[in-house]
Amino acid sequence: MSSNELAGVGGLTQPRPTNPAQLADVLERVLDKGIVIAGDIKIDLLDIELLTVRIRLLVASADKAKEMGINWWEGDPFLSLNGRDRRGLEGRLRRLEAAAGLDGEDEE
Amino acid sequence: MIAAPGTTAWYVYGVVDASASLPPGRLRLVEEGPLAAVAGAVPLSEFGEEALAERLNDRRWLEVHVREHEEVLQRLAAGSTVVPFRFGAIYRQLDDVAAMLQERRADFTAALARVRGRIEVGVKGWADREQVSASLGDAPPQAASGRAYLERRLTERQRVEQVAALLADIAGDAHARLLRHADEGVANRTQPPELTGRAESMILNGAYLVGGDGAELAAEVAALEAEHRGRGVSFETTGPWPPHNFVEPGEGS
Repeated sequence: MSSNELAGVGGLTQPRPTNPAQLADVLERVLDKGIVIAGDIKIDLLDIELLTVRIRLLVASADKAKEMGINWWEGDPFLSLNGRDRRGLEGRLRRLEAAAGLDGEDEE
Repeated sequence: MIAAPGTTAWYVYGVVDASASLPPGRLRLVEEGPLAAVAGAVPLSEFGEEALAERLNDRRWLEVHVREHEEVLQRLAAGSTVVPFRFGAIYRQLDDVAAMLQERRADFTAALARVRGRIEVGVKGWADREQVSASLGDAPPQAASGRAYLERRLTERQRVEQVAALLADIAGDAHARLLRHADEGVANRTQPPELTGRAESMILNGAYLVGGDGAELAAEVAALEAEHRGRGVSFETTGPWPPHNFVEPGEGS
């Protein structure tokens, strides 16, 4: 990099490295890892996670992402049905199906 | 750019030792005891709570700022031990930054000790599934009869499963071997082809915290590469990265 100045957030003209890291790798680290802090101006962490999901879904449909093992937002009550409630419902559904002599679809 | 009071906030990139020095520029150290936060002024028009929520949905804006967050950390990491923050830690006043440092001092001190003198290296494993399948031997012959056709279909399905099992073994073995040359390591979720833009499947998305320059880890990656290249599996390293994967308590292995 040629600039000798640390361009802070807000400076949009910083030079790009000649061999920039893959965006996916940077997003994964900067949005998913690192110390999590609740600041004075609160950014709801769920927003950040929602955003990460959106970024991934921009390039992968939800079903495709799920197929690839990216389904962690499903456990997030903000992003889906409450995971525990849903598991409870599924359990009840399966027991009801069993009681009625119906074959529930195998999950695994 | 000097803005009027009340129109800017402080964006924190990470924490360093108070003795660290910054390269010249617009960032500043906010010192509190033995620690210092690396902060930069940002306009509230972009980084205020409501404005930010909107900007976060703008992919272009996000990419620029996420990359910038990373570049700042990269430059810091080149000269100091740094504990990276996740994107978006924003404070109205420097006093608030200092209060945060004081409140989390024990966490940050532990995190600094954990990553001091170490770098994070990424290692990815890739597989060309067709080549891997071919490496398992000849495909079943074309079938004339209906029964033979069904048998062939079954064999094909078994082959896909064999490939998946082999790749899982290779990835698991690679991660275990890489861990031997690292202080810590984590196998993150693999990225889908839509995200990587590559024809090969990602089978390993590891991050490793290594001492020194990581030469030992690099040698193991080269060994893995040499071992598996013939069957369509390759390995590559990324980084060095600031130690994003190894600063939150409970992360890593």
